[in-house]
Amino acid sequence: MATRKPSDGSPRGSSRTSSRAASPSAPAGVRDAVIVGGNRIPFSRAGKKYADASNQEMFTAALEGLVARFGLQGERIGEVVGGAVLKHSRDFNLIRESVLGSSLSPQTPAFDLQQACATGLEAAITVANKIRLGQIESGIAGGTDTISDAPVAVSEGLRRALLDASHAKTLQARLKAFAKVRPADLKPLSPATDEPRTGLSMGEHQAITTARWGISRSAQDEVALASHQHLAAAWDAGFFDDLVTPFRGLTRDDNLRADTSLEKLASLKPVFGRGLAEPAEPTMTAGNSTPLTDGASTVLLASADWAAERDLPVLARLVDAETAAVDFVHGHDGLLMAPVHAVPRLLARTGLDLGDFDFYEIHEAFASTVLTTLAAWEDADYCKAELGLDTPLGSIDRDRLNVNGSSLAAGHPFAATGGRILATAAKLVAAKAAETGKPARALISVCAAGGLGATAVVESV
Amino acid sequence: MTAAAPATSAGEPLRVETLPTLPGLGALYARGAAASGRIAAGRAMPGLPVIGQGRAAEGDGEARPLTLPDVAHRVTGVPTVDLAHHLHDYQRLLHEPVTDVLPAGYLHVLAFPLATAVMVRGDFPLPLLGMVHLANAVELRGPVVVGDVLEVRAWAENLRPHKRGVQVDLVAEVRRQAEPGGAPVWRGVSTYLAKGFHLPWTGEPDLPAAATGGDGDERAPAGTWTPPLPTGRWALGPGTGRAYGAVSGDRNPIHLSALSAKAFGFPRAIAHGMYTAARALADVGHARGDAYRWTVEFASPVLLPGTIDVAVTPDGDGTGFAYVGWNGRRHRQHFRGAVTPL
Repeated sequence: MATRKPSDGSPRGSSRTSSRAASPSAPAGVRDAVIVGGNRIPFSRAGKKYADASNQEMFTAALEGLVARFGLQGERIGEVVGGAVLKHSRDFNLIRESVLGSSLSPQTPAFDLQQACATGLEAAITVANKIRLGQIESGIAGGTDTISDAPVAVSEGLRRALLDASHAKTLQARLKAFAKVRPADLKPLSPATDEPRTGLSMGEHQAITTARWGISRSAQDEVALASHQHLAAAWDAGFFDDLVTPFRGLTRDDNLRADTSLEKLASLKPVFGRGLAEPAEPTMTAGNSTPLTDGASTVLLASADWAAERDLPVLARLVDAETAAVDFVHGHDGLLMAPVHAVPRLLARTGLDLGDFDFYEIHEAFASTVLTTLAAWEDADYCKAELGLDTPLGSIDRDRLNVNGSSLAAGHPFAATGGRILATAAKLVAAKAAETGKPARALISVCAAGGLGATAVVESV
Repeated sequence: MTAAAPATSAGEPLRVETLPTLPGLGALYARGAAASGRIAAGRAMPGLPVIGQGRAAEGDGEARPLTLPDVAHRVTGVPTVDLAHHLHDYQRLLHEPVTDVLPAGYLHVLAFPLATAVMVRGDFPLPLLGMVHLANAVELRGPVVVGDVLEVRAWAENLRPHKRGVQVDLVAEVRRQAEPGGAPVWRGVSTYLAKGFHLPWTGEPDLPAAATGGDGDERAPAGTWTPPLPTGRWALGPGTGRAYGAVSGDRNPIHLSALSAKAFGFPRAIAHGMYTAARALADVGHARGDAYRWTVEFASPVLLPGTIDVAVTPDGDGTGFAYVGWNGRRHRQHFRGAVTPL
């Protein structure tokens, strides 16, 4: 893989008249952040191979694989940034503890960051920005999540009684505190994926968005089928050979169903949106929704100089990124529609059009999330009213969408998904550029709980 | 300095009876239950002297008309300085932000015992227990905060026919003691139905308050009403009635347990109507501002435990919010209302 000197930081050229937009360059005083490579562990359906693996064990494994791949033993990395969505309070320094358990230099600083399902991508954006500003020369971004080993909390009643008792000065006061505990308080609370403000699960929220946009069951099943077929083909072609390290006896993502078919997907019963009134019909099944998954991922970013000094490959540069949030609490917008808002802003800043990409990596939280995102960009009324665009943002070439599969097939360990997508996108544009001799570009879009979304542009070097 | 002499909405003057403190609800329910029993006995055996003057329509036609006491209860100097802990319990339960500003629903909780005291008076003609809360309308004209000293008044008015009995409005007002002559900062009108009672002068039956603001479709059979897309889902546990009973003081047996609810004809305990309305009010959030009108009409009881779908959405002209709650499986409406900034 070729390395390249960082761009000279000159102002954007005015020669953007060709049919293909000119490569966006970094603003003055800001240098490029390049993606060296990534490493993750295979993703595993909850309760299976990683049933007793903790977030820290999984992240450390992914990190050690990255260290081994790029010879980073003993290296003091500028910063390691990552997080977990479902995190125990004892893991307050999850990423730093993982670094201390790795063969990186113990002088490597780290911090935890969390933005729901956008955690991994937001971590990479944060690392890239530090590199772009010259604050660090290298950084590792990532994320980890386990449903199997999720923290279990005690009820609010028991928690308050325990706290009152610990504050109590006398035995009598302690007993009085515990006397308030009711039998129902003893039931443990498992983490829920319900939105705190609405009480609706993410699936129910997306079922409402799906109904609003009239997305059909068959269109969703086709997205799911393509995801499995593309991911299986990528594994068979060895695409993940330098992106994944086996863990706990697992060598491939175990949610992958290479042999699934539209018939099998069509036979599944809907699980979300069953209470919606006509004309909405339930269309979302376990097949066209992501399963709960365990896993971890990492991506190595650096300045071009740092990579060149170590003879490391450079796959791509992280050009720019944009996050957004939507007003979903009273139904103004769908919970997972924030990337729809982020992308036009990102395109405007980078001077790109929606069609200027060789690859589109749209995180498949649900098959219908991809489809409502694309439908919104094609809808003139929505683009005008919600995005402030005089014309629709446009359509994409579906042959360039999630070409090596995405979360429906791979699974979705919340904070680990961003790293999986970023490494995949970087490798795709590098290969495409090597093949064609022309720059290649990818658009990344990740929706997240809380009405959040993160998007990024990745370009070959 | 005292406030202007109280009068009903129709302008009928009210005598003022000043109580030393806000009454405790528990004792009132005991009195209410006793009075309800006497009223029921009076209906069953018209010859017995009864405490209320109301008579069922199936009586002998010589029944004297139902009349409401021409009295307003008043309590002055109600302190709120010690209420912060209780207020915060209320706010956590109702999903309100925890602050020292009293939400409109909390002021309802504060004034409710005085309104109940009116309903358990010897000369109040209807039984407290078994009355059905049809609707509620509240206006909050500005922020009331912990530390304000309040004056609370309550009376009954506007006794009128309903197709299933008679309905009556319990009006409560809250003033800041520092502004004695001023308009109430909070005013609530709770409309109740007493089933089986009739007014002798019944003419054209008044529509229930619950139907006058809307299209009345809550009376439609289950399944014929089409709900909107929900914006939220409330999973209400079996203890919801006990929890709201604990913070509101409203321990009406229909809310506390399946057993006590069965005694009043409900298959299981039912959620307090004001709990559901206050959850919807909290859901609106900051958009409601410091002064707002908050209404609710109750269509069918929410059985506990239960899960209901709700839609809390900006109304057409963008000035406020409309809300509706329903049973997602049977598409049966439970309540609907509005929150409008003033």
